[in-house]
Parts: sequence; C-alpha cells; structure tokens
Amino acid sequence: MKLKRFAAVLTSTALISMTVAQAASAAELRMSWWGGDSRHVATQKALEACGAKHGHTIKGEFTGFDGYLEKLTTQMAGGTEADIVQINWPWMPLFSRDGTGFADLGTLKGLDLTQWSEADLNSGSVDGKLQGISVSTTGRTFFFNETTFQKAGVAVPTNWAELEAATKTIKEKLGDDYYTFNAVKETAQLLVTLAVVQKTGKDLVDPETNRVAWTPEDLTAGINFLGHLVEIGAIRSQKQEASDGNVNLFEKPDWAAGKIAGSYEWDSTFSKYADPLQEGQVLKPFPMLHIEGAVTDGVYRKPSMLFSISKNSKNQEAAAQIVNCLLNEPEGIDALGTSRGLPSSKVAAERLAGEGEPEVRAANAIVVAASGPVISPFNEHPEVRGNFIDTLEEFAYGKISAEDAAQQIIDGTNDVLAEFD
Amino acid sequence: MKRQRFLGLAYLAPYVLGLLVFTAIPFIASFYLSFTRYDLMSEPRWAGLANYEKLLTRDRTFEKSLWVTLTYVFLTVPLKLAFALFIAAILNYKLKFINFFRTAFYVPSILGGSIAIAVLWRYIFASEGLANMGLGMIGLGPVDWFGDPTNALFTITLLRCWQFGSAMVIFLAALQSIDKSLYEAAAIDGASKTRVFFSITLPLLTPVIFFNLIMQMVQAFQEFNGPYIITQGGPLKSTYLLPLYIYDEAFKKFNMGYASAIAWVLFGIIMVLTLIAFWSSKKWVYYAGDKRS
Repeated sequence: MKLKRFAAVLTSTALISMTVAQAASAAELRMSWWGGDSRHVATQKALEACGAKHGHTIKGEFTGFDGYLEKLTTQMAGGTEADIVQINWPWMPLFSRDGTGFADLGTLKGLDLTQWSEADLNSGSVDGKLQGISVSTTGRTFFFNETTFQKAGVAVPTNWAELEAATKTIKEKLGDDYYTFNAVKETAQLLVTLAVVQKTGKDLVDPETNRVAWTPEDLTAGINFLGHLVEIGAIRSQKQEASDGNVNLFEKPDWAAGKIAGSYEWDSTFSKYADPLQEGQVLKPFPMLHIEGAVTDGVYRKPSMLFSISKNSKNQEAAAQIVNCLLNEPEGIDALGTSRGLPSSKVAAERLAGEGEPEVRAANAIVVAASGPVISPFNEHPEVRGNFIDTLEEFAYGKISAEDAAQQIIDGTNDVLAEFD
Repeated sequence: MKRQRFLGLAYLAPYVLGLLVFTAIPFIASFYLSFTRYDLMSEPRWAGLANYEKLLTRDRTFEKSLWVTLTYVFLTVPLKLAFALFIAAILNYKLKFINFFRTAFYVPSILGGSIAIAVLWRYIFASEGLANMGLGMIGLGPVDWFGDPTNALFTITLLRCWQFGSAMVIFLAALQSIDKSLYEAAAIDGASKTRVFFSITLPLLTPVIFFNLIMQMVQAFQEFNGPYIITQGGPLKSTYLLPLYIYDEAFKKFNMGYASAIAWVLFGIIMVLTLIAFWSSKKWVYYAGDKRS
C-alpha cells in the first residue's frame, strides 16, 4: 500500500514537473528583419508555424531596409534588440568587433550547424565565435522588363553595346520618356564599381595594402561609363531622379509601366521589383552585361543577411530553436520559401530544389555562376558609400569632372581605410 | 499637512522623472559625449576639443549644412508669421461659417508634422505631381521642384509655411483681445484702415509676434521630417539641414561624439539668436501698461 502511494506521488510529481518544464520552455520572443511585402508575409507565416511547433510565441518587428540599421543600432546600444535579429553582413564588424556583440551560436544546442558549409560558418564568425548564421548568398544581377523590349521589337541586350543600340530603338519607337536602365544612389555606385571591376579584375579595396586598389584612371573610366549611359538616354539623369523626390524604384509609376525597363539589383529582391509591375509586364533576370575588354564578370557577391541571437536575450535556447526551425525544419523552410533568396542551409536548399519562383532561382544561379574578385565589406562602409554617392551626384550635376570625382572617391575611401590600419 | 506634501510630490514625480530621464540626463550626456569619440558599441574615448576643431575649421559639409539651415530659417520664419497674421486678420472678421474656416485653416498644423503629410508633399511636387498638373492647366510650364537645388529648399520651406495654424490661432486670440474703443477712436479721427493696422493693431500685437518669432525660430532650426522624407537632404545637399547632418553622423556613421558636437553648436546658434531677439525686443515690443507707453 505504501509502495502504491509512493508510486502515485512519484507519478504526480513527474507529471507536474513535466508540465512546469513545458511551461518554462514556452518563451515569448521577438524577431526583427527588413524586407518587402512578400518577405514580411512569408516570415510571419513561418514564425507562426515554428512557434506552434516549439511552443513559443514570436512577435515580428519588420520594416523596409531604409532606417533599419539606425533602429537596430539604437536598440543594440540600449540592449533592447529583439531576441532574433536579421543583420546585413557588412554590419558584422560594427556590432561585433571582437565576437561578443551577439550570442555565440556555436554554443547553443538548438541549432544544427552541420547544415552549413565551412565557408558560410566562417563568414558569420568573429574571433572564432559564430555571431550570425548565413541565410543565403546574394549578389547583384540584371533585371529587364522583357515586355518593353518586345514592344519595340528588340532583343534584351547581352552587352552594353547592345543596350546602347536598344535604347536608341526604344526611344524612337516608344517615346523619349522610355529608359532602358536605372542607376541611382547605391545602384549608381555599384554600376561604376561593376565597370571598373570588369576592366581591372580588382575589388575596390586591396586586401594586402588595405587601400584602394584602383588607379584614378580606372575609376575615371568607370565614372565616364555611367555618364555615357545618361548621355545616350539609357539612364535618367540624377536631376530627373531628384525631381521625383526620395522614391524607391519599385514605387515609381514609370517602373510599374515599363518606362524604366531595367536595373541592377540584388537577386533576392526580384519579387519586390516584379510585384508592382502593371498587368502584362514581364520582368526577368539576365546575366551580367560586359563592357568591352572585360577580364571578369565582376559580380558583386557576398553572404546575404545573417540571423543572429541577442546576447541580452533571456531565451537564447528558445531563439536558437526558432532559428533552426526557420532555416532547417520543414515548417520554416516551406513558409519562408525563397523570400530571402535561395537558402544556404543544405537541407533547405534540397527541400526547395525546383521550388520557389523560377526567376529568383535563375537570378541566384546567375550570381553564383558569375566570376569576380572577393569583395570587401568596406564597399558598404557608411562613410565610403556616402562619399562615393555624394561625389557621383556632384559629377552628375556638372560640379566636378570625372577625374576630380575619381580622386575624391579614392582619397575619401583611403581616409576611412587608414582608420582600420 | 505631511500627507498633502507627499501627495503634491507624488503628482510632480512623473513629470520630474520624465524631465530627468528624457531631457536632463541626455542633455548633459551629449555635452560630455561631444568631447569624445563614441561609436555606440564601445566605450567613449576622450578627444578633447578635436570634434569642435574639425567642425569649425575643416568640415565643408557642416559649412554647407549651416548655410542651408540659416537660409531655411530666415525664409521660413518671416513667411510663416506674415502668412499666419494675414489669415488671422481675415478670420477675425464676422463672416458666415467663420468657425468652419478657423478649423479648416488650423487642421494643417495638426497634420503637418506627420510623415504621411511629408509623403503627400513629395507626390504633390514630384515632376508629374499635382502642382505641375495645376500649372499645366493654366498654361504654365512645369517647375522642377525637387530636382533643381535652388527650388528644393523653397519647396521644403512651403511645407513648413503651410503649417501656420498654431501661430495663426495665437494671433487670432491676440487680435480679439485688442480694445475695440481704440478702433472706434481711430474711426472718429478718420484714420484709414492701413493706418489703423500699422498704428494700432501691429503695435498691440508685438508681444505675440515676439512670442511666435521665438517659437517658430526654434522649431525651424529643428526641422527634420520634411527634408528627410521628401529629399533626404538632396540634391547636392541643398536641403541638408543640420538636424539631418546630426542624424547621419549619429545613426549612419555612428560618430555619436561628433554628432553631439554639431548638436551643441546648433544649440549655441539658437541660444545666441534668441538672446539677440530678447535684446532687440526692448526696442520694438510694446506691452500695454509699460511705462514707456
């Protein structure tokens, strides 16, 4: 009898402890990310599915890319960032100079790291501590509105000379308000970069010397290349762009109507640019256009965004479970799909093989297959980028020559690089 | 008595706490930070006067931004005050539906500071926006409101002037408090309406003009939403007001120390101009009952 009573007490205790343990593991988490509408919808669905599976609730905090870094920096400084944070690869040195900015993902049990390549894990590590896990590899590629080219009876260009010829025909047949390409702000910077990299085979920064690898002549040619595209009417001038105020390309009525028929964008953002197009307009990704005498495709490829876990999170293990679910488990993989590009996780890549938008797959395949030097995160350093873009604007408004602009960009970049000697 | 004193302190506590946490401490901290190099992620490093030295001697962006800010303030404040006074004078007449018109003119100042209105403004003045459509309808050519560096600042100024409601309400209240017997006496003396305005209305409004001048000047120096949303300071930094520069240095380049130094220089400029306004007020502001009268 005593034994029975003891067994009953033991069983009840075990049951109560299990319930308590279950309740303790049910965490309330926050996750912050940037993106467009399609990514917001997919991520919310994925969080719902993963939350239900692991018994956690996750509140999403999402915005567009503009302003995300500023918000995250303020939160990081105050220690109020979300438990799971989406970060951009070039921000890693800013938030975690010595590998202590985020939780070390290598020490959390919930995350199956065998699904990532050594290179992916290295790209998210600082001082041997895994500060962020690669979500996908991304790069810039060309998107063209096929409909506009078809309407004018010309083929989508495969090199810059063909784009020039197509621009002439399109303007003659469809009107002077049609443009075949777009390059504003960082897209202008990256287009100039593309031209110089194709010509020289070198990235902006020489990793050996930690100084600009290009000569002023190399960069002058790149800036003149951009100027030429504006001159022939392939690209709207900076002044025309400024006339619209501060509006994203995908929000512009002229983009939706196919009057701006191409751009140079991240492969993973294909849907953001395809979704707003008017009915009947077809956008497709295309391989890199080459300048004459190109020695490389000059692809601008980098680890895409990373998922990190806050070092201040009280539920790091629960957050790791959710990150694992988003990137390695069927519920998360299916819901996220290719909303962040094609995944780096092997299991997710296998599961999504042949699935997702074919255009996003095609865009990613172009980026992965293209050749180019390893790029430095300094290409996206806020001061380097700010100086590059401001100088291109001065050139576009005729305030300085291409030669002076090139020198100004090189000097400004070297000043920043010198701070990291 | 003791209980009442405690109750009084308890009522004061939320305000005092808010003032300390959200104003006083950041205010003092920013002064200290202006003498440091601080990137938010690591500890501030003492830099002495280096930030101020760079700012005042070598920083061309600051020079440009300061010039843009002063132009903006000296354009916006008089235009807005004149417009607010003009509308207040009209709304002071006994017209039909006067309360409706008073509300209608006040509404923009409630909406004006919002992001949505800045976005709306961007669409109105875009190259193919409502403003250019309107000009086209009356046979005029389009204006490059944002693309031309000279026009861009003026377009941003218009947004600020459009929010004249709060200054207008204060003017209206002041207009209504002017003693009617003064106007009656002037009418008996045969004074013209212009003379009445400049000899009676305007002098009696000077305390309110002074108040509005200070408030509008301080607000104009702090303008951020409009240029940030509409032009992001462009083109060619023609709308790059100092608050935008502070924001970029602080949150895009993470130079918190340098941003704090710019903020303190801006504070100094506002302080000096306010002191000048107070000093000059002895010469042009008329207070009823003042012995000088």
